[in-house]
Amino acid sequence: MSTIAQAGRKATDPLRPEPATVVEVIPETPNIKTLRVAFDDPAVTEAFRFLPGQIGQLSVPGAGESTFAISSAPSRTGVFEFSVVDAGALTSAIHELADGDPVAVRAPLGCAFPTDEWKGRNVVLVAGGIGMAPLRSLLFHLLDNRADYGTLTLIYGARTPDDLCFESDRADWRHRTDLDFTATIDMACSIWDGCVGLVPTVLEERAPSPENSIAVTCGPPIMIRYALESLAKLGFREEQVYTTLERRMKCGIGLCGRCNLGPKYVCTDGPVFSLAELNGLPDEM
Amino acid sequence: MRFIAREKTQELLESLSAEAQVWAPRELNGSGGTVMFERWSPGDPIAFEGFSTLSAKDMVLPRTEKLFGFRYTAGTGNMLAEALEQGAGLPAQGKNEHLDIESPGPAEKKVLFGARACDAKALDVLDSLFNRDDGSAYEDPGYRARRAGLTVITLACTSCDDACFCSSFENGAAEKAGSDLIFYPVETGFLVEAVTARGEQILSGGEGTVATERLFEESGLQPPALAETARVEGIAELESLLPAIFADLEFWERSTAQCISCGFCTYSCPTCHCFNIHDEMRGDREGERLRSWDACMFHIYTQEASGHNPRPTAAHRYRNRINHKFSYFPENQGQILCTGCGRCIRGCPAGLDIREVMAAALARARERGSGEGLAGEAPGAGSA
Repeated sequence: MSTIAQAGRKATDPLRPEPATVVEVIPETPNIKTLRVAFDDPAVTEAFRFLPGQIGQLSVPGAGESTFAISSAPSRTGVFEFSVVDAGALTSAIHELADGDPVAVRAPLGCAFPTDEWKGRNVVLVAGGIGMAPLRSLLFHLLDNRADYGTLTLIYGARTPDDLCFESDRADWRHRTDLDFTATIDMACSIWDGCVGLVPTVLEERAPSPENSIAVTCGPPIMIRYALESLAKLGFREEQVYTTLERRMKCGIGLCGRCNLGPKYVCTDGPVFSLAELNGLPDEM
Repeated sequence: MRFIAREKTQELLESLSAEAQVWAPRELNGSGGTVMFERWSPGDPIAFEGFSTLSAKDMVLPRTEKLFGFRYTAGTGNMLAEALEQGAGLPAQGKNEHLDIESPGPAEKKVLFGARACDAKALDVLDSLFNRDDGSAYEDPGYRARRAGLTVITLACTSCDDACFCSSFENGAAEKAGSDLIFYPVETGFLVEAVTARGEQILSGGEGTVATERLFEESGLQPPALAETARVEGIAELESLLPAIFADLEFWERSTAQCISCGFCTYSCPTCHCFNIHDEMRGDREGERLRSWDACMFHIYTQEASGHNPRPTAAHRYRNRINHKFSYFPENQGQILCTGCGRCIRGCPAGLDIREVMAAALARARERGSGEGLAGEAPGAGSA
């Protein structure tokens, strides 16, 4: 999405992170925590801007650095959030952090969702598991600028009720009249009286209209694949569909070489891509 | 052209070493003739006829580079966190420490003597990615500082071996890009051509430089004929042709079956620049963030924490390497990410020859283009 004006990061040394502090750790699920983070330097906080869909590099110096979507609202930059799955050596170290612990951050990086181009249109968000993290930032942005958009639909699924993140946000989203929100889990269980079904299935049941609409999906690769099929069945064309990708990254600035999809780098040309763009790239997911 | 006698090059390098580290091709002790770019000190012999096994890219991209040091220090460094703790009565659960991040020192000035045209051109190619001066958000200050402090004196090639293939590229052995000064070997010394203002300073003298101009004299000698290497025809066409055979994984599997994913090709390549970033602690409280050479031929290079790997086999990885060099990088930077130095061919322990893979890929893609079907010989068949 390189055509969109970005909240870029013009730093003297783009590989050097800024010291920051964890101000709160929110346990989301058995293996996901949200870290609320603030920069130590007030001047850095002052200059910090990001757009929905942009990513950041979160470091625990000594353990390493990795890339995560910024999951909080772009309108609130004093404290911002990363939602992290405990999956490897670094993310284990991140999960051991407590309030007040030091970290370091390079952000924002990458390209955002082209939300300015979507003004006046309906937006359908389709998220699975941790894929809700970047879409949460996007949803906050759409809600913060609610009058600019048509109907908003969110379908968010996880394997079990315990695997759904952002509990207090979900309580708010359920009660909003300006958001059509469906939470779903993969299989029925005794503690859940809501929607049951895989995200693509629920998407087809809810059947949002493609007319004057944009659909955005993020989740596990298998879910994205079937969600894209469902969107096509519903009549969404490839220019109407967006996703945000994950790849192993190191530098985050298009130099270190590993996150490319053909000639495009997920870190700088993405992570947000339209399906039309993706269909023009080599299939190496 | 100006001329310098062979024995006076020692004096030249000695003068230059007054204000910069000098690196030159040297035969390693007891190596049976292996030549490497090594730190040179006055009196050290120079392997004028040798060809360094590894490239000179570590002049600008060190094998391991300290990006910065960090230190955990007692006391929170965050006023907001402090306010939250005091105001909201949050329990101080954390380690009550903050992080100091220090910058690395300035880059040392270096003179690289005895680079070959392929080594110097490789610096020019790397510059297109790392030395951007276009106001882009993503510049690399470490690279830029090292590059700005580097003087490149190239030894033109009058001979080559059968792995060399620089003649496949536009200027071949006569390539000047990346060089400040070029030495053309003649019988008793070298004819010398300045390519940049920095080169001209060394040749003719100039403000703020050590006096080296006295070592050069005028000469009516003719420059020598330069080496003509093996050619791979159609390298520039790969940029547009490779995408057509991307999905033909069977082709890539057959063509690269010998590859053992050792990474020597990337390690020795003057243009391969992929890197890793990792931390090392020095005790409990402080450490360093390091940038090190990485290799796209390694399985772990793209392996994700979930276990998923978008390039799970050697064929996937080799396909990416060829596409990066001859299609993606040309598309993005306008330069081919290869200078024909042949190091990956000389050093491959499995005998894989990138020229054969390129030729086969070209043939395969042209077949596709002309609709002649899928039959085609993969390179290296029977030579593994």
